[in-house]
Amino acid sequence: MLVNDPAAAHFEIDPDRTDLVEEFRRNPKGPHSDTLRKVLHRMRWSGEGGRFVLVTVEPGRRWVLGRLPERRGRPVELFHNQTFDDPADAEWHVFKVRWQAITGRAIAGGRSGEPD
Amino acid sequence: MVDTNSVLGYATPLIVSPGERVRFHLSSRSMTECGVEVVRVRCGDPDPAGPGLRLHAMNSAVDGRRPLRFQPIRPGSFALVPNRLPFGTLSSFGFACFLWPTWPAKGESERGAIQTVAARVANGGAGWRLEIGPDARLRFVVAAAGGRTATAIAEEPLREREWVFVAARYDAGGAMLLDVVSLDPQAGRDATSSAGTSAPGGVIWSGSAPLTFGARQAGEERGRPVTADHFNGKIDRPRLVSAALPAGELRGLCEAVDPRPGDPRIVGAWDFAHGIGTDRVHDRSANRLDGQLHNLPARGATGANWDGSAVSWQARPEHYGAVHFHDDDMADAGWEPDFALEVPPDWPSGFYALRLTGTGAGGDPMDSFVGFFVRAPLGQARAPVAFVASTATFLAYANSALRLDQVHAESMLEGLMQLSRDDCYIAEHRELGLSTYDTHSDGSGWIYSTALRPILSMRPRANSFNYVNDTHVLDWLEEKGFAYDVIADDDIHREGAALLGQYRCVITGTHPEYYSREMCDAFDAYQRGGGRHMYLGGNGFYWRIAWNPALPSAIEVRRDVSGVRTWEGEPGEAHHSYTGEFAGLWRQNGRPPQRLVGVGFDAQVFDRSAWYRRLPESHDPRVAFIFEGVGADERIGDFGLRNGGAAGLEIDRAEPTLGSPPHLLRVATADRIGYGGLPSPEEFRTSHRGLDGEQNANVRADMVFFPTAAGGGVFATGSIAWACALSCRGYDNNVSRITENVLRRFLDPAPFAGF
Ligand SMILES: [Fe+2]
Repeated sequence: MLVNDPAAAHFEIDPDRTDLVEEFRRNPKGPHSDTLRKVLHRMRWSGEGGRFVLVTVEPGRRWVLGRLPERRGRPVELFHNQTFDDPADAEWHVFKVRWQAITGRAIAGGRSGEPD
Repeated sequence: MVDTNSVLGYATPLIVSPGERVRFHLSSRSMTECGVEVVRVRCGDPDPAGPGLRLHAMNSAVDGRRPLRFQPIRPGSFALVPNRLPFGTLSSFGFACFLWPTWPAKGESERGAIQTVAARVANGGAGWRLEIGPDARLRFVVAAAGGRTATAIAEEPLREREWVFVAARYDAGGAMLLDVVSLDPQAGRDATSSAGTSAPGGVIWSGSAPLTFGARQAGEERGRPVTADHFNGKIDRPRLVSAALPAGELRGLCEAVDPRPGDPRIVGAWDFAHGIGTDRVHDRSANRLDGQLHNLPARGATGANWDGSAVSWQARPEHYGAVHFHDDDMADAGWEPDFALEVPPDWPSGFYALRLTGTGAGGDPMDSFVGFFVRAPLGQARAPVAFVASTATFLAYANSALRLDQVHAESMLEGLMQLSRDDCYIAEHRELGLSTYDTHSDGSGWIYSTALRPILSMRPRANSFNYVNDTHVLDWLEEKGFAYDVIADDDIHREGAALLGQYRCVITGTHPEYYSREMCDAFDAYQRGGGRHMYLGGNGFYWRIAWNPALPSAIEVRRDVSGVRTWEGEPGEAHHSYTGEFAGLWRQNGRPPQRLVGVGFDAQVFDRSAWYRRLPESHDPRVAFIFEGVGADERIGDFGLRNGGAAGLEIDRAEPTLGSPPHLLRVATADRIGYGGLPSPEEFRTSHRGLDGEQNANVRADMVFFPTAAGGGVFATGSIAWACALSCRGYDNNVSRITENVLRRFLDPAPFAGF
């Protein structure tokens, strides 16, 4: 069988590369540098830190953060206190969660650098 | 958040002619009534950046408030042999078959799950069952009517996707035996074991229960069997005999592809290689205990004796004596109709929907829909233009849970997925039946899709792919005042070129991906006969499908060999069960899309969309009509509702080696796609690091024109995103202008001169 293996994404993320964090903070949508692409592929394919999704509250206007279930048939978990009116803010939020899950280091601040 | 699922339903037939009757089958778990209104769909996309939902109320005879009830959906396929004379007269007996379990460990993740291989149980449970227990071990259960039960359990758990021969025997003298024999008992694969136990003697078997394969009968509802404990995997050559024969003798009866009907011990010898294109199962014994398949398990499946000497079930049917059952197969929800609409003769053809409104289960306003289509009366075109409702594609995508179940989507999109309320509903409600993009609970692919169930993805407010994107073309036609008929894939398959030939111009939409041979023939003949075809999409004419010969609006898709495959078919199973045709891509069937429409699928690009630039051939006076009012250096489609451009999502290019015609003019291209553009697997010979659109000029969308015989012509834009740019800037933009230029010229009967 041909299967998609989430564990196959094994690019090693260097926790000291805060320049990549800043690149993503400035421009979540991309295009991104080569190394940041690899970091993002690791995060997105493996789902480490959570297989997050956005669920549309109002088309084109508002989204709520969700997480896919581990097993089929279970509900999509919704985080009702995490809503976004710009998907880029959600990308940044999820990036921070995953960066910490993978490197063990927390990232502070919102997208424009202010504390959140 | 708008509630789109508190009431669900489906329409039969899916496509209806004016003057005919369409029935609506509805169900709600939480609501007792709702508002009902028939609408004609102009735009089904609620995106505020576009035209928004545009639905025309038809003031139909069924509009008003309607009571609701709950109607369950019971997934899981099985075969049922109705009770017949020999069953009740048996005393001792034996049952044997080959077995290929695909999820024997189901009981680990779904606690207590049992999977029935074969059973004959009466209401109340008395009878016998051969089943996989929650511990993955095969067991044979005899339950006498008085409540005495005995069970023989195999020692070894069954292994996933490994063939075993299994034999269960009941001796009326008070014993039962169970044998499991691995066909490849080496290297850790051996699950061979024998078990025996004492059993209640002289059991009197029910005189009314059916024999079932793949599930056990648990009751009946409105004349339909209700079944439980469905099996995942293949059953090959089941045999029922009237004595507790030794396992070796039963093995011989199963190995024989031509059972001897004169053998008086044989009660039933079912041959699933017979009638592969049907839902009947055939008994080759002298008793003729034929049966019926329910919920479309997979046929044309390789059996335990398949050795690769033939890869088509037509070449060696005796190697295809298996049926692959799934516990989540769903072909017919079987809901009772709630009411019917006589479609008035004067209604225009179009995308229609039954709009269902009220307050949903969670207190949100509900705006749910049941999609259906009204065709122009057959043989009575009402407009010079036909827009094709790509119903085969809509069926192929029906209720996809792909983004929920597989891990690739976020990487492919280069960003977080945006799920709808429908996605969240499907996450929990697999009973609706999934799409041909999905995998069953045992990991194998869905090959059939039908319209006898609610389809959440084929209605207004659905996820924006195929159906919803196509409504942007309808919206544009209405905005520009072009009169059009809607014709559906089903009709093109059935009526052929004669249907298309009524129209001066036929428009295929954003994603006419799934085509039968008959549909390809129809377009080929139409184009050669002077027809004009505008193909305003991407990844069109790609997969070869088969339509179910007996069931309307039901298709078969097999994803083998190559192509973008969200699952890979089993070896030896690349031929359609309905027709015997080789499935796969049209490219592999000698009819690449480039030959029919000039361009063919080359890449997916879901992160950002691009724009087209004009190429030198766009200044050829023979195609000057396309670019009237468009500057030589204008960026074409550097805007749009799908990632900001008109060239995106799935894109096609011209390729002479795949049949793009010599007279084709490549008038524009979008070839600066970026690293998110990745070629489809059939587009490269070997892997290398230069495949993506940043480095690879063959990752691109081409806009092309070519003339066909007898004054016909084809225009293609090679991109799904094209139509979703039509409405930008109040429909005043170069995507809209080019589309209008071409359509006006295609409506002018003057032939294309100079070629
Ligand atoms: Fe597709």
